Amino acid sequence: MSAKNNPTEEPSTEEFVITRVFDAPRELVWKAWTERDRLMQWFGPKGFTMSTAKMDFRPGGIFHYCLRSPDGKEMWGKFVYREIVAPERIVLVNSFSDENGGLTRHPMSPTWPLEMLSTTTFVEQGGKTTLTIKWKPLNPTEEERKTFDGAHGGMQQGWTGTFEQLAEYLAKG
Amino acid sequence: MARLATTADVFNAVAEPQRRRILNLLVRGERPVNFIAVSLRYKQPQASKHLRVLREVGLVSVRGAGQQRLYKLNGKGLKPIHDWAKTFESFWNESFDRLDDYLNELQKPEKSHERKE
Repeated sequence: MSAKNNPTEEPSTEEFVITRVFDAPRELVWKAWTERDRLMQWFGPKGFTMSTAKMDFRPGGIFHYCLRSPDGKEMWGKFVYREIVAPERIVLVNSFSDENGGLTRHPMSPTWPLEMLSTTTFVEQGGKTTLTIKWKPLNPTEEERKTFDGAHGGMQQGWTGTFEQLAEYLAKG
Repeated sequence: MARLATTADVFNAVAEPQRRRILNLLVRGERPVNFIAVSLRYKQPQASKHLRVLREVGLVSVRGAGQQRLYKLNGKGLKPIHDWAKTFESFWNESFDRLDDYLNELQKPEKSHERKE
């Protein structure tokens, strides 16, 4: 079935994209992503520490980690590397997991896609490196696809007005 | 899973673009169903169906006013999505901030010969 057969505005699943420019050569940014001890230095929100990290950096290999929040909560996750093109591109499957590496659901949303395919690209220009990560659900069920599209809509589409109203509501306490 | 169903359903409810359009319309205030249908060029049963879904997940509320039923946006219902999006974005923004600091730190020995302080 051709995509052109679908003239309605029903969304096909779009990728969620985050990008950032770092003032560092690509070689160094690549190392920060692909060497366990370096990745442990920065991966995770402010105040989080990586308490466990096992990395087998090769196609088919796994990075299994545990992040500990400032209030002591643990969050396990894993990457399964699919494709590695040094120092340009990493394709991996990203998921939540338990401490044994088994797949688990998103803690806040049980219909969030179980696995996400993420593609990270490293592009160097003038000594700076542009890092781009794209995510999309991997083999989602219909329900998972809708959940992703809903959240995606909340994050990157024209929701300004609705979210402003929410912001007002939240500000009122 | 039953406990978490509400959160999941909110995501599901807003995944449908026609329902997002209804929510955006209701940002301007309370509206009757026929106004919603006409404004968005939906047939009334279609608009009613979407409004029912939105009501079931707590994104809109309804009250009777004379012969009309007025629908109102419930901002609080969007909180799970807001929280989720915030968590996801801050996870990566904060990680990238840390990566930025780390990369600067790594490059310091070469660049810090002329420290001023």
